Amino acid sequence: MLLRKRAPIAQGFNLKRRMSILGFLALMAPVIIFARLFYMQTFLHEEFSSRAERAIYNYLAEDRLRGTIWDTNGRPLAQSVRTHSCGISKKYVQDKNKTVDFLSQTLGIPKKQILDKWKRAGHFFFVAKKIKPDVYIQLAKVLRTPLGQGIELTPEYERIHPYGSSALDLVGAANSKNWGLSGIEQMYNGQLSQDISRKRAKHARRGEVIYDRSLKEEVTVGDVYLTIDEVAQYYTEKALRAAAEEVGAEHGIALVQDPKNGRILAAASYPVVDGQSLAFQFTYEPGSTFKTIAVASALDAGSVHVADSIDMEGRRWEVAKGFVVRDNQHKKDFLSIPEIMQLSSNIGAGKIVLDLGAKNLFYYIKAFGFGSKTDINFNGESKGSVPPYHTWRKVDLVTKGYGYGVAVTPVQLINAYSAIANGGILMQPHLVDRIEYANGEVEKLAKPIKIRRVLKEETTVVMKKVLQSVVEAGSGKRARITGYQVAGKTGTAEKLGKEGGYGKRSHVVSFAGFVPVSDPQFTILVILDNPSKYSFGGTAAAPVFKEIAEPLLAHKGVKPDQLDFE
Amino acid sequence: MSTFKVVCLIALVAFFVLWVRTEVNRSGRTISQLQNEVGIKKARNQYLKLEILRLSGPEVIIPQAQEKFGLVPIEPQRVVVVEE
Repeated sequence: MLLRKRAPIAQGFNLKRRMSILGFLALMAPVIIFARLFYMQTFLHEEFSSRAERAIYNYLAEDRLRGTIWDTNGRPLAQSVRTHSCGISKKYVQDKNKTVDFLSQTLGIPKKQILDKWKRAGHFFFVAKKIKPDVYIQLAKVLRTPLGQGIELTPEYERIHPYGSSALDLVGAANSKNWGLSGIEQMYNGQLSQDISRKRAKHARRGEVIYDRSLKEEVTVGDVYLTIDEVAQYYTEKALRAAAEEVGAEHGIALVQDPKNGRILAAASYPVVDGQSLAFQFTYEPGSTFKTIAVASALDAGSVHVADSIDMEGRRWEVAKGFVVRDNQHKKDFLSIPEIMQLSSNIGAGKIVLDLGAKNLFYYIKAFGFGSKTDINFNGESKGSVPPYHTWRKVDLVTKGYGYGVAVTPVQLINAYSAIANGGILMQPHLVDRIEYANGEVEKLAKPIKIRRVLKEETTVVMKKVLQSVVEAGSGKRARITGYQVAGKTGTAEKLGKEGGYGKRSHVVSFAGFVPVSDPQFTILVILDNPSKYSFGGTAAAPVFKEIAEPLLAHKGVKPDQLDFE
Repeated sequence: MSTFKVVCLIALVAFFVLWVRTEVNRSGRTISQLQNEVGIKKARNQYLKLEILRLSGPEVIIPQAQEKFGLVPIEPQRVVVVEE
């Protein structure tokens, strides 16, 4: 009994004491941490919050959404697709040869090309841009392996045009950051694009990103619907390209308009350059296609009657000393108004406007919309040139009668022909039909707007017959379409040379008309600028009118208005 | 409540917070990867849709119809318009 039992009280006391100490120590740790946190939150808040923000979070690259550009029937002409660019950060690459080999095989780029870039570049260089999703998946698989070290995939956008270069001159271009650079893309950039606030994301190992939050914003981006009909655009571009290549034209323009509401259904330029539509930017002296404006003005003002005959002065008319107008295309001493148009007589047109007078002609020219920009306001749109009438001499007045001394744009001319086709009303031309926003709001832009009445309705009835006779019996025979009454006027204008005079080597051929005459559905203008093969409006441009009009009439199911065509 | 229980409770809460934090990060990574995959699949789908549009567009269809099947656009006067 040498050993004594410990007193139970002392044992209990020791355990309790130890537990208290342990508990105290355990509690002290959070208390100290809490105290430290309190100090940091209170006194070092600014410094630590900004440091934490930088260390923990990463602001992802700013994103920009972009709407689609559609044709009038809902076919996409330009649409953004998420894609990536592939770059290399040289210092992170572990095995240069293996990585370059891999990229060469995956991206289909010659190894030498990548190595050349490697030599030239500093720390970082892009190997390929706009890589397709399938390729991206292959690249993404190796990113976390030694082979993928140093490969960087950066998100960007590709603006896709499903119909190739069709209407590209109108649509224009947008860059990989979804920013419009030219054409409609630039004009409607505000409506088409929307900047999304930067996403806040968490850094993780090896570049992985853990989304913390992205600011939820209302998407307000809009889709732009053009008045362009992709099928009409296809036929127009095809016919224009074939004709321009055949005659070796420097430029070509073909426009199709609905004369009743002013909607541009097709606008083709040759050659196609994105965002540069010659329909709005090209200015030229229209030549004989302008006789329609001169004759219609005179008929409307009553200075001439359709039954009148004009003396041809022996086909050599000396307007002023040293200025002679000749008609070499006929042998007649007198021409009626329809004959003047059929034979495209410069003497006849000159005499008609001389009777009309400078002030009246100027009034009509301006009323038809020449010398002013249209409300389309396309990038680089020209207003043309119509000098004030008080500066005109007699010679200036006469030459304006057959389309010299005024500069017009194709859209102005087609709109003027549409005014004759629709019964005398100048309509506001439209290129954009509507904008549809993501929230369902629709902004209608192509409402038919009557700018003004230019001609009396009875004048247009007479003019339609006169222009129809040009196609049936005059210079525009090659624009004839079986089953349909076609009205139009040819034009072959010599261009002002660099030395100042007009030369036959440089010229513009054109044809403007509408079909069917009984109920015009399409006004079409064709222009071939500076063909290398000498050609005429009747031989080079009129057949293009037919090439464009025939499939459009079939496509739209327009009834023939000639009953005895079989 | 005894000190031991308090300590245990604190430890449990600490473990829970740690576990939640880890799970949030892990889920975040998974969500991020899935979002990326969804984005890629959407882009691929969009490319394919646009390719269908390209192939069904007049630039491709009309020459193919003419070359392969001898189809030509009908002359407009041959079109019969059926009145509604």
